[in-house]
This record gives sequence, C-alpha cells and structure tokens, in this order.
Amino acid sequence: MTDIVLWGVLPYVMVAILVGGSVWRYKYDQFGWTTRSSQLYESKLLRIASPVFHFGILAVIAGHFFGLVIPKSWTEAVGMSQDFYHFNALFVGGIAGICTLGGIILLIVRRRTTGPVFMATTKNDKTMYVVLVAAIVFGLWTTLASVFLGGHGHNYRETVSPWFRSLFIFQPDIGSMAAAPFSFHLHTLVGMLLFALWPFTRLVHAFTAPFHYLFRPYIVYRSRDVRTAPGARGRQPGWQPVGTRDRDRR
Amino acid sequence: MAAGPIKPGTDGSASDAMLAVGKFFTRWEESDDGRAVFRQGGRAGDVFYRDRWSHDKVVRSTHGVNCTGSCSWKVYVKDGIITWEAQQTDYPSVGADRPEYEPRGCPRGAAFSWYTYSPTRVRYPYVRGVLVQMYREAKERLKDPVLAWADIQADPERRRRYQQARGKGGLVRTSWAEAVEIAAAAHIHTIKTYGPDRVAGFSPIPAMSMVSHCVGTRFIQLIGGVMTSFYDWYADLPVASPQVFGDQTDVPESGDWWDSTYLMMWGSNVPVTRTPDAHWMAEVRYRGTKVVTVSPDYADNTKFADDWLPAQAGTDAALAMAMGHVVLKEFFVQREVPFFTDYVKKYTDLPFLITLTPSPDGSSLVPGKFLTAVDLPEHSAAEDAEWKTVLLDEVSGEPVVPNGSMGFRYNKTDAGKWNLDLAGVRPQLSLYAPGTEAREVLLPCFEAPDGSGSVLRRGVPVRQVGDKLVTTVYDLMLAQYGVGRDGLPGEWAGDYDDGSTPYTPAWQEAITSVPAKKCIKIAREFARNGEQSKGRSMIIMGAGICQWFHGDVTYRSILSLLLLTGSMGRNGGGWAHYVGQEKTRPITGWVSLANALDWSRPPRTMTGTSYWYMHTGQWRNDGYSAGSLSSPLAEGNLAGMHTADTISQSARLGWMPFYPQFDRSSLTVAEEAEAAVAAGQADDAAGYVASRLADGALKPAVEDVDAPQNWPRTLMLWRSNLMGSSAKGNEYFLKNLLGTHHNVMGNEAEAGMTRPKEVRWHDETPEGKLDLLCSADFRMTSTTLLSDVVFPAATWYEKHDLSSTDMHPFVHAFTPAIDPPWETKSDFEMFHLLAQEFSRQAATHLGVRKDLVSVPLQHDTKGQIAQPGGVVRDWRDGSTAAVPGKTMPNFTVVERDYTAIADKLAAVGPLADKLGFTVKNITYKLDHALDWLAQKNGVMLGGAGDGRPAIETDAKLAEAILTFSGTTNGELAVHGFRELEKQTGRDLVDLALGSEEKHITFADTQAAPVPVITSPEWSGSETGGRRYAPFTTNIERLKPFHTLTGRMHFFLDHDWMRDLGEALPIYRPPLDMHRLFGEPKLGRDGSKEITVRYLTPHNKWSIHSEYQDNLFMLSLSRGGPVCWISREDAASIGVMDNDWVECVNANGVFVCRAIVSHRMPGGVVYVHHAQERIIDVPKSEATGRRGGIHNSVTRLLVKPTHLIGGYAQLAYAFNYLGPTGNQRDMVSTVRKRSQEVTY
Repeated sequence: MTDIVLWGVLPYVMVAILVGGSVWRYKYDQFGWTTRSSQLYESKLLRIASPVFHFGILAVIAGHFFGLVIPKSWTEAVGMSQDFYHFNALFVGGIAGICTLGGIILLIVRRRTTGPVFMATTKNDKTMYVVLVAAIVFGLWTTLASVFLGGHGHNYRETVSPWFRSLFIFQPDIGSMAAAPFSFHLHTLVGMLLFALWPFTRLVHAFTAPFHYLFRPYIVYRSRDVRTAPGARGRQPGWQPVGTRDRDRR
Repeated sequence: MAAGPIKPGTDGSASDAMLAVGKFFTRWEESDDGRAVFRQGGRAGDVFYRDRWSHDKVVRSTHGVNCTGSCSWKVYVKDGIITWEAQQTDYPSVGADRPEYEPRGCPRGAAFSWYTYSPTRVRYPYVRGVLVQMYREAKERLKDPVLAWADIQADPERRRRYQQARGKGGLVRTSWAEAVEIAAAAHIHTIKTYGPDRVAGFSPIPAMSMVSHCVGTRFIQLIGGVMTSFYDWYADLPVASPQVFGDQTDVPESGDWWDSTYLMMWGSNVPVTRTPDAHWMAEVRYRGTKVVTVSPDYADNTKFADDWLPAQAGTDAALAMAMGHVVLKEFFVQREVPFFTDYVKKYTDLPFLITLTPSPDGSSLVPGKFLTAVDLPEHSAAEDAEWKTVLLDEVSGEPVVPNGSMGFRYNKTDAGKWNLDLAGVRPQLSLYAPGTEAREVLLPCFEAPDGSGSVLRRGVPVRQVGDKLVTTVYDLMLAQYGVGRDGLPGEWAGDYDDGSTPYTPAWQEAITSVPAKKCIKIAREFARNGEQSKGRSMIIMGAGICQWFHGDVTYRSILSLLLLTGSMGRNGGGWAHYVGQEKTRPITGWVSLANALDWSRPPRTMTGTSYWYMHTGQWRNDGYSAGSLSSPLAEGNLAGMHTADTISQSARLGWMPFYPQFDRSSLTVAEEAEAAVAAGQADDAAGYVASRLADGALKPAVEDVDAPQNWPRTLMLWRSNLMGSSAKGNEYFLKNLLGTHHNVMGNEAEAGMTRPKEVRWHDETPEGKLDLLCSADFRMTSTTLLSDVVFPAATWYEKHDLSSTDMHPFVHAFTPAIDPPWETKSDFEMFHLLAQEFSRQAATHLGVRKDLVSVPLQHDTKGQIAQPGGVVRDWRDGSTAAVPGKTMPNFTVVERDYTAIADKLAAVGPLADKLGFTVKNITYKLDHALDWLAQKNGVMLGGAGDGRPAIETDAKLAEAILTFSGTTNGELAVHGFRELEKQTGRDLVDLALGSEEKHITFADTQAAPVPVITSPEWSGSETGGRRYAPFTTNIERLKPFHTLTGRMHFFLDHDWMRDLGEALPIYRPPLDMHRLFGEPKLGRDGSKEITVRYLTPHNKWSIHSEYQDNLFMLSLSRGGPVCWISREDAASIGVMDNDWVECVNANGVFVCRAIVSHRMPGGVVYVHHAQERIIDVPKSEATGRRGGIHNSVTRLLVKPTHLIGGYAQLAYAFNYLGPTGNQRDMVSTVRKRSQEVTY
C-alpha cells in the first residue's frame, strides 16, 4: 500500500503541483518570476560559485537523462559494458556532483554571510535550499553507494529507470521501484519534493532561461501590432462607442 | 584595440556563428551588422509600464514643514491610494538670462508619502488611559464635562497620577466626540477658574501652512488665550535685524543669489539646509562669482567654496570685527571711496551725533546717547522732538534735524516728512579735521575667553553743541575698531600684525584660528567687490552663528561689513538670513484673521522664550545675575538682577508681554475695573488697573510665577512638536510643566546662587503645572506621546492650505489628494469641532464676559515712541508715573461672548469693515475686499456671524487670507502705497500701479505657483519681474527704515545696551559655562570623558524632527540618535565609530552613537537638531531612565537686551523682537558607555 502511494500516486501529485503551480505563478506573479538576483549586493563569490553550480547541475541533469531515460538494453546494444557505464557514471557523475555540491555550498555560505543577500532571501527559498542540498547529497550518496558497496552494488538501471519510464505511459511499475534500496527511495522522494516546491521558489527561472539570447541580435525593435493600435480595441460591454464616423468607417 | 575606424558589427566570429544559427531558424528581419532585429507586436508587456504611470489624479500640494523650501509637488493617486510624489516644474520663469526655480524638492520631501500609511500615523483620537477612566467616572457622577474636569483637578492624587503617566504609553482610542468634549471642558474650566490668559497655544511658522495656523490661533485668540511665539523662541530671529533695520527680517529670494558677484556663506550650510535653492549658489560660480564659506567644520557647502575660513565655533564676530578693521582702514581712512561714504551718509546712522558723557568713575568719557532736537533750542519745541536725531551739515557746519527719524512718523504736523530726503543737506561723517578738539573715550571690550570685560582707551574728535559734547557715530566706529588717525588720543592698533590690540587681523587669529593674511585678503576682496559692483556683495548667514547667546552681536559685526560697503538694499547684495520659514507673503490677511482682529482687539501674544523660561522653572536653575554679563563701564541698570527680574521689569514697563497678566483672573480684573469706573472711582478701566498696580493691590503674575493660580493650565499644540524638537531645556518641561519623570540632574537649591529679588521663590519646586496637554499631529512624536489628548490630523496631502517662503516669490496651494483616511481630520475641522463643543459647554459655565487684556508697547505703533532716550524709568521706584501705554503696558477691556466662539470662527467679523486691518502702521480699508469675499464665499446664516462673509471651510479661509493682503490683492497694494506716500511724501504707488486688477485667488494658487504683487507689507520690489531683495524700497525710494534715526543703525543707545557694552558692533566670546554656572571646564581632564561644546546644527536627513523616523530617511542615513565627534576627541575617550556614548550635563542626558569623522574640529560635538526619542533611544547609564532628545542637554539662557521695549526699533511685536531661545553655548561631557544597551 505504502509503495502504491509513494511510487504510484505521489509522482502524479508532484507533477500536478509542478504544472499547476507554475501555471498559477505565471498567471498571477509574472513580475515575481525571477531569480531575485543578488549580484548587486555581492559579486565576487557569485562569479565563481554560480557557474560552478550551474554547469555542474547541467551535467547532473544530463547524467540523469542518460541513466533514467535510456534503457540498459540500448547501451548494451551499442556495446557499452556495465563497467564502462559505471566508470563513466562515477567519474563524470562524481565530478559533476561534487561541482554542484561545492557550488551550492559556496552559494549558501555567501547567502548566509552577506547581510543584504540574506535579507533578500524569501522563506520559500530558504526551504528550497535545504531540499536542494538534500537532493544533491543523497544523489551523490546513491552514486557512490551503487559503485562501492557490494561489488557493483545495486543496479538502478534495472529498478528505478524502468519505473521512471513507466510513469510516462501511466502504467507505474511499482514493483521495480519498491525493489530499489533505501538510498534510492530517499533520493527520489527528496527529488519529488524539490519539484513540488519548484513553482513557489526562485527555481522557476530555469523555465525561462534566456537561452535564445545567445542566438539573436542584442537589440530588438518591436513595432506596434494591430491589437495595440489606437482605436483597435474592441467594443467593451457597457460602453457606448465614442468617436467619429471616420473611425467607424475604417 | 587596434587603431583605425571601428566597423559596426558583433564581437567576433563566435558571435557571428551563433547569430547565423539563430538566423537559420527564424524569419525575422535583421540589420546588416547583425546587431538589431525588427519584429512586429509582442508588446503586451508595455501595458504594465503604461499602467504604472497612469493615475487617478495628480494633485498639487506641498510640505508644511519648517524648511523654507515651500516646494510645489505633484502627488500621485492610484486606486484611491497615494503612491508617490514628484517635483512640480511649472514655476513661472524668473527671466531670460538666468536659471529657473524648477525643479524644487529634496529627498526628504520625496519621502513624505510614506507617512500616509505608515505605522507611525495617528489614525484615531487618543486619550491618556488613566485620565479617561477618571473622567468617565466623574462625568457619570456629576453629569457635566466641566464639573467632571474640575473634580479631577481638585484632587491632587488623581491629578498627579495621570500627569506621571505622561510619556509612558497608555494612550487609548476614543471617539472624536469624547476627545473634543474633554479638551473643551479643560479650556472652560481654566477660563472659569483662573482666567483666559492661563490658556496657551503654540503652533509655529505660519508660512508653512497658513490656514492651519490661522484657524487654531483664531480659536485661541477668540477665547482670550495666549499664543506663544516661535521665531525668537527658536533663536531663528536675528535680534540684530530689529536692532539694525527696525524690521523683523527681510531677505532676498534665492534667485537673487544669481545677481551677487561675491557670495559668502557664514554659518549657513546651504546644500544641506536650503537644498532646493543651493543650485543658484553652484550656478552663479559659473558667472565668475567668488564663493567663500565660514564654518568650524568641513561642512558640505565648503566644497563649493573658493576660500574657507574655519573660525572656531562661536568666534565669528572676532573675524568680522577684524574684517571691519581692514575695511574701515583701507576704504574709509586711507582712501575714501565715494560710493561707500555717500551710502553710509544717506542710509546709516554714521553721520549722526552722539553725546559724550562722563564715564562711571568720572575719569574719562564714554559714548552716551543720540543728540536729539530737544537738545537744540531752536528745535526743542517741535513735535516728538525727543525722537528726532541730529547730524551736522558739512557745508554750514551747523547741526540739522534731517527728515526720516522716528519723530517724523507719528504726528500730523510732520506728515510727508518721514523720508530719507536730505533736501540738500550734506551730512558730515567725521568731525576729524586739522585743529579739531579731540578727547579720549573709554570703550568696553570682551576679548578674554571667560567673557569678562576690559576697557579700551581710544580717542575721538569732538565738538560742543549747546551744552553737549558730541561726536559722530562714524568717529566712534573708528575708535571701536581701533582704526587710528593722527593726533587722536588713546591707544591704537599698530599694523595688521599687532596681535595684542583688538580688533586687528592678527588679534583675531589667536581667537578664531583663521590666519590673519586670509582675513585681510577676504576683507579686501569683499570691499573691493562692493566698490566695483556697486554693492553686490552678499552674505548668506544662518543658524550656525545666529543661535548663540551673543548671536545678535555677531550678526551686527557682520552686518556692519555690508552696511559699510553699500550692499544692503541691492539686488545681489546684502544679508541673506534664512533661518525659519518666516515670510508669510500674504501677511495682512493671515495675521489679522489669525489674531481674530475682525472680532476683538488686542490679541494676547507672548514671547516664547520668557514664557517657557519662567513657566518650566528654568529660571530656578539659572543662578547668575545679569550683571555678570555687564560691561566694566556699566552704569548699573542691571547690577544684581537675576534674569527673572529682568523679565519681570521688562513686562512691568510695557516692554515685553508676560502672561498670565495678574495674580488673579483677567475676567475678575475687568469686572472690578468696570465696577470702579461705574462707581466713579476711576476714569477708565486702564487707569484703574494702573492705580491698583501702582498701589500694589494688584500684582503681576510674573512676580509669583510658581503660585498655582499663575500656572499655565492648558496647552494646545498643532503643527508642532514642542517636546521632540524646540523645547530647549526639555527635561525641565517634563519635570515642571508636565510633572512626569525626567532626567534633570542639576540641584537648583545650591547655595550661593543668585536668586531673583522680585520673583518669589517657592522652596518646593512646583511640578505638573499643566492640567491638559493637547496635540494634533499625523504622526506619533515625542509630543503626542506626552499628551493627554491626541487628535489625529490630516497630512499635507489631505487638506487645503497655502504655502509661501522667503526663498522664492510664489504663493502656492496644498490640495487634498485623498480624503483624510481612518478617523483623521484636518486641523481646520478639529478646531471647528472644538469651538462648537466649547460654545455649547460655555452656555452653562461662561456666557458673555469682559476680559482685561494687557499688551506691551508695540513696534510700528505710537507705542514705540513711548519711552524717549532709551532710559529705564520704573514707575515702581517712583522715577516716573504709572501711565498705561506710556510707562507701562496698555490695558484694554474686551468683551467675549463665549457661547459664540464657533460662529465667530466661521465668519469674518465686523471690525474688518469698521477699522480695516493694519500692518506696519498702514491701515488697509477692506470695503471692496469684503464685498468680493462675501460674493465669492457666501455669507453665514444665523448666529453671531449672521450675514458676514463665510470662512467655514479651509479653502474659503485660504481665499480670505489672499483677499485681505496686498501681496495677493493688487487693489490693497496700491491702496497701501498711497497711504505710505502720505506718510513719506515720496512717490511709491508706481511700484504696484497696474496691479489693481490683479487678485490672486486660491484657484490660481492651485493651478500653479503665482508670483506675488509688490506691496508695502514688505521692503523690496518684484515689479517688472525683478528678483526680490530686501530694503530696495528704502534705498531707491528713500523710505525710512523703522528705526530711531530712520537709517540703519550701528549705534544703539538704550541704557541696557550700553550697560552690556553693546552700543557698537563688538566681539563677545561664547558664554563661559564654567565661570557662570559651574559646568565642567572645556577639554580633557585625564579621565575617560571629555567636555565639549554641544552644538545642534540642522540635519541632512530630516527637517527638524520630521522625516527622521521616515523609513526612507532612516535607510539613507545611519538612523537613530547620533553625535558627530572629531577623531582626536574620540580617540582620547576610547570611542570608535558607531560606539554608544552619552552626552551628559546638569540638564539631562542624550544617549547616541558616535560618528567619528575627520570633518569635525576638536572640542565640539554636533548633535543634529531634533533627534527625538521615538527611534532607537535606549536607557541611559547616567540616570537609568530613557535617554532624552537633543534638547535634553540644553537649557534656556535669556539675554536681557532682547527684553528692551518701548524705544523706537526696540519695541515688541510678535516674533519681531523678544529674547531668543538660544542653545549653542551649551557644554556637555561626552563619555563612552557600556555597549550593551537596553530599552
């Protein structure tokens, strides 16, 4: 029963909160849709810590994609051995994880010790940092544990990954996930919590990263479109049209 | 970067590649250089920014704060909420070839809207909790508000209980009805039991919101209460102005700085305290004008200066005297400058003759009095001959009596002769000529740092006129300044390097620490500029030099520089004293309606300083005799007199007012007087009162000021924060007036202290004199926290009002942006509610009563020629008879219908038609103005004001003020000039001619700031778009100054002036608080504390107490109480920047953080003015009680010469003359305290 709730229901609740929350936030708090940049208050540490963390987490995301989405059979089909996979996961994943963790620790130290930065931190963000760090720490632990504990240890590509993929076809493979060890359960739960918090924190900025900026000229001239031209507004209920016949004719 | 033309493009090939990728996926139009892209639409986000700048309305208003700014602001309202304010930019142009006034405003004003919805806003009426419990209980029992109030007051235990709760919180919300009922009952109880002159009101600076000030003052005056003054009380009044010019203060608008070619700032930190005007000072430098500053610290304005003279705090007069020495020597004696000599002969008292009289010990001569027509047999029979001064004609060598002196002002025979037309007479400036007799004169000098006097032996040329030996003021000036001429007896200064003889440049260097060379250089430049530019040397002077005990003396020494160089009465020249927003441009309408002169005359106005000095028991701690300030050549008029005695004598002789008047109710006295007149025992009421005073049956209240029947009983405060800002000796206010806890540490009973002879000493210090302290404010201040009843006031964005200033020539409006929120109401509405409730309750308790009003001899009335010769003649010691209006105050019986106060408040009364309104001895007939106003405002229906023009709303009262003033109603200006032409016989009306049709209405002032019309209410002219400069009418049109000689005075011959050694410009050092009062000596004593001068200059981050609790200003500044201290002084007591310190002396304690700064000189601390106890004030180590406000460490010191009256320009008028509440001579011990503070 617990397994059904945890691995069959919670993921969908989490997605509902993530999507619903983001839509709600976008609708009602567009001007709050921001990283709440604190660069103005402190930039020396930020200049180092922020790229370390962000590039690290991008690599971590890529690693998750590789481990969770691509079936084991596919990698084997192209001749990638389990050892090679693990070496990569440990080496690349480890470096990425340590960068991410180091980066976030620096960022949090900066945030806590620089008065104005700390004062500009919302309660939600403070909570988010706890969860984010927990997710990273537990994630690193699973990576290390899966390699160093008991030979090759547990192979999540046979438990967590099939479950993850099964969620997308609404046929949750609860059994597979239930079979994964505690460390993976913990990391997954904390991860889901993080996604549930996502819309209510500064993390929303990930959805609107100005990626396109890299590929366009830096000055954008926008001429008026038809809708904002004078007189183009439609008739409003309750208002008599005011104006000249000329305008009516046009 | 490589040289050569830079090609437009992106950063390089990587960027190009990325752009190419982007371009591959899009179909947008791009510029060739790849830097811009063109798209259609996608501008939905604009709406937010459009909405952000769209408002329900934008309203013109301003800030009713005493900053002299009077800046017009746009107030933005969105969805019914005030969002922000921005500077108005629509000031009328000041001319083609000069900068403009717009924009005006500073960060303080820009932060104001924060208050509207701030936590400090007073939203509801409040009453002191314990008091309201007592009141409700008593009212329940007695069924009447007045009886209930009387019941509480009759019980010492209950009275003490609520008084001791003052300032401790415990204010509870109440209804408007109950708050008004209690306030009205307290007033009625006081009038009924003790008399109306025990009711007091205080609200400063009318110009900053005239309607608000006017309506409250009108209420107080209608009920016979006392309004205490502010200009002199704030020590903003330069007493030198009445002394020298016979004018309260008149100064150029800031736009006239642009006309100056040599600009000094002396004790005035223009960028900080005149922020919206400072641009003129910066801009005029681009015209080539030299800017010089004098300030002890590296003040903000110093960075604009070409030269900085860092005179030690309080020693400025020494510098000015030495500059005067240079000017007199080089521009008068060594080389005569016709421009200067012509000017001083025509417009100053320099050519007038002074008698020489034997010195007190008979060994030599001293300057005596002005020679007058009485001393000339052929003129002695003329009318007012004692008031006609005499000079010598250069051609005939005979004494002549020129037009223009005071003796030509008030009699019909001389009508048309009160002018400065010399009619061919060429005044002889000096009697010095080969073969002229010369005699030694003794002159006082105060060069010792302890303030004690010495005697200078100098010589003057003399001649005999009748039986009098005389010389000229000019010859005395040269003697005073030590500028010798061959053949004169006495000891004279050698060259400029003579450091031992006053008043040489080298002598001043030892006192001020300004190098002698610099002093000589600036003096020469200053005078040469005057000569070449024809008087366009200007000195902006301010609180830094004005607010000292001897500030009047300092001012006279500086003004002398301007007078000698022909700079007064010039555009771009003369003095510019900006301390206090004193210029209510529509003065006649405001002053007359405020004092309710349309219903009853005279009003009761009081000099604030002497009022508080006596009623807060500060005199009990002031153990020195006025004689200790005296000159060694004094004739003993002040010998042995305690300051309280001088106040008492001054009131007795009709010089200055004092309230309460008598040892019993003025209503009782009026009734006794009427009965006596009816019984034939006296000719009139005034005569009866005079005889009762003479025989001692009636006693002035001041002589037993601590007796319970003579206490002030109610005090109404609005537009003011007395206990957080201006109350010098704040802890004495808390102790004696309010009866609550305090930090006074002095022991008033100390043996050996001088006690008054005339004022009765009570062994037990009276505490808690005041029954009711009532205040109206929109924010919680130190004052509201101490009040018994607090009314929630509307802010400056929530009412109609008017603003004007001396800094610019415009009148503009306050307009409500929103209705007063919560339960707040405008002051106007509050006073009307109070008046209505008062009238209701009065029907039972007061009815119609007669009131005997005592007022002193007034300036610009015949009262100023009451006591000739400036001789002290006291009716009490029999040296003269007791004659009301001559040797003692005027006594008038006034009828007061206490049931009709509300009706009278709301309508213009009949005396306006009957008597007109009089300002500066010009009476304005108001027939047309009244008709116009009645049509514009409508008339009242029923009651005492039936059929009279209505002023029952704030906007209508504003209209009335504008209608009754020459500056805003051209018809009155023309009428006034015609009257003045009759008095002076000079052409003047052209100054206003053509303006008859101009009538500035309230609607005009709401549309844009409106320039005022030239009017005889002021001394300068705006005619033809001219920038306003004071006294230009006097100089150009030969209209006399309102002084004894009709000219500007160097010499003041009143007995008290001579006894204090201040007949001529002189230097007096700051008071030696150690010698006079036993305060610690200045400097270090080896322990971890240091005694320093405690100076309270104005604050960069607030306007007095306003804005210092404003979140924006707190964020911009360090916030909370601070004192500035030099690095050396801080190091000597182990204080680091931001450490907590305590400033302590006998008066109290101020706890603050230290700002350790290199800009401060050693030996002084700056505690910025009006840091009050509402932000971050911890408990003090000195007393364990909460540390006080900046004024907790100060106390009042009254200078006796400010009390002189009844003598030409030295005569009382409200805010025109009175003792200053100076506070800059204070010293305080500063010590580091435990850094662990508790609240």
